[in-house]
Amino acid sequence: MNRDALALLSSTIQENRQSRRFFRHWQNILGVILVLVFIIIAVGADWLAPNSDPTWISDLTWENDIYKILPHPPAPETPLGTLPTRRNAIQIDIWTALVHGSRSAMKFGLFAAAITGFIGVIIGTTSGWFGGWINGIAMRISDSLLAIPVIVGVVVVQQVTLILAGNTLWSLINPRGLENTSVFVTWLGNLLRDMDATLLAIILFSWMPYARLMNSIVLRNKELSYIKAAQSLGASSGRIIFKHLIPNSISPMIVLFSKDVGSFVLLQASFTFIGLKSPSEWGTVMVYARDYLVGLGGNLFANWWVFLPITLALVLFSVGWNLLGDGLNDVLNPRQTHSL
Amino acid sequence: MPPIVKYFLRRLIAIPVSLVIITMLLYGFMMLTPPEERASLFYPRRVDRLTTERLQRLTQEIIKEKGLDKPFPVQYISWVSSLIKGQWGYSPLLQNDVLPLLLRRSAPTLELTLITMLVFIPTGLWSGLRAGKRPNGRFDTLFRFTAFTSQSVPQFIVGIFLLNIFYIGLHWFPPERMSLGISSIISSESYRAFTGFLTIDGILNGRLDVTWDAIRHLILPVISLGLLNWAVLARIARVSTVEEFHKEHIIAAKARGVPENRLINKHILRNIISPSLTSSALGATTLFTGAIVIEHTFSLKGISALMESINAIPDIPSVMGFAVFCILCVLGIMLILDVVQAIVDPRYRDGVLNK
Repeated sequence: MNRDALALLSSTIQENRQSRRFFRHWQNILGVILVLVFIIIAVGADWLAPNSDPTWISDLTWENDIYKILPHPPAPETPLGTLPTRRNAIQIDIWTALVHGSRSAMKFGLFAAAITGFIGVIIGTTSGWFGGWINGIAMRISDSLLAIPVIVGVVVVQQVTLILAGNTLWSLINPRGLENTSVFVTWLGNLLRDMDATLLAIILFSWMPYARLMNSIVLRNKELSYIKAAQSLGASSGRIIFKHLIPNSISPMIVLFSKDVGSFVLLQASFTFIGLKSPSEWGTVMVYARDYLVGLGGNLFANWWVFLPITLALVLFSVGWNLLGDGLNDVLNPRQTHSL
Repeated sequence: MPPIVKYFLRRLIAIPVSLVIITMLLYGFMMLTPPEERASLFYPRRVDRLTTERLQRLTQEIIKEKGLDKPFPVQYISWVSSLIKGQWGYSPLLQNDVLPLLLRRSAPTLELTLITMLVFIPTGLWSGLRAGKRPNGRFDTLFRFTAFTSQSVPQFIVGIFLLNIFYIGLHWFPPERMSLGISSIISSESYRAFTGFLTIDGILNGRLDVTWDAIRHLILPVISLGLLNWAVLARIARVSTVEEFHKEHIIAAKARGVPENRLINKHILRNIISPSLTSSALGATTLFTGAIVIEHTFSLKGISALMESINAIPDIPSVMGFAVFCILCVLGIMLILDVVQAIVDPRYRDGVLNK
């Protein structure tokens, strides 16, 4: 048996030990199952609910007009019942909203957390690697940004989007305006208009924890001998950062990432709930379901289907990713104290 | 000068630095919009009554006077100097000056936030300590389950379920800020608003019914807002307590027969406060965002009502005012937590002072 095979064997045993440790706790198994279920729902959404628009049910004809403004209990066509919106005669099919909502939530969470993590890791690593005043300035900025609430970011981004969208529209009508606006601003305006303000605000104002954590790890790791060795062999900064520093300190980032997927989706639903424009299907359902909980004659049991499935989906989505994050934390950062 | 005052001043000086960085980023982002739009930051009050032609001339004058077509530093300085002078602009949409409007609207938000902090920090420390004292004990298991669940449930859902049970079902705690009878007391001649916080003003005016009513209206919002922050803080407190109990000086003290209560009060409590408060200071923005969400859920008519009326309409002065104001509030919360931490933990204070 040559040396490579031995190394491979030992690393497999190591991985096995890690995965055994991961699956020893029922919490971690539950987390993996929940996340897998949501991934399956998201992937098979078109198959589970053939109509991708939750309001498709409005095409159905009810016998009486009064039925149009009442929530309908579960029926064969609408497995989880319907919920009327405030605009009369438009009904939301809860099952479709649940299934296609989990697809969009999964997309949103993964995408937002991936971009946020990427930006944070790059900023934290580069500033830590170059050190000195570059590091000082970068960390000073990221500390300051910790004082900006995401909601402020959403409002500001929405405002700029609104004005730019209006401006680009205006400049198309008025040729003189087109000369004044640079191509860059027009392009950016169109991009911002197509992009979701919540997503952009979350990306802009949530990368700081990644950067701070990554920075402290890199500052510690860059004095280690394998980095010094790579440096003395003439490796460039870019090579050291991407080949050595990032791969060797990525595990705490994975933990942060997994928790952020859940919390970003909750944040998006909250913003939809308070009336900021963001396309969260689950949040939209909760806006209308609210009337059946805290409105006149609100009752937990009478119209349970209007809020219960979506509430459970939101909670379980976040529970799944949080459990996964905690489990990964125990396996990947074993020296840290058990937090849950 | 006592070290704590020195520390406070040191931290107070650090705030403007953060503010400058943040406002630079904000204004830089706003610079994507054309100068004609940004001129609305400097409109005077009479802008409502101007004709379109006069308005355009005024806009051009402002652009020239404030240098809105000049490079970034010129524009930024003219904006910040007007902020410092207290001229936060006039919003034609809301027909009001922005700063007084923000100040008037902020009382419910700040009251909610501060009372929530007063509730969740002590309870978080207590429950974390109690749970960490006997890891895997009965209380600890219950605590871990509760804390984990509260971290995973969105705050607005907690809010509407609590409202359903305690308002619709039991009629105990109503939503909104005050009852009808109380609002007539507040608008009467003899009542003076000192702080805008109903709980404190009620006591200062000698009207305990106002205070009681305010507390009744605040209980549900405080619970639904504080739950998440309580969970984050208490989990950190629990982990620190477990770590503290394994330290050598604690084991030695235990072996000498120091009673457990004395051990906790004298040694452990002080050591767990510092990491716990750091986590809360880092989560100050989460607390503030949550406060706005909860305020909407319970229709407390604070700063969230202002935000809703400006978020879909072009209104740069209100949006910039709102942004700067919220950031000032968050920095204030961070300063409070930081100073409390320094009072409790002298090592932390000296570490910063000696740097």
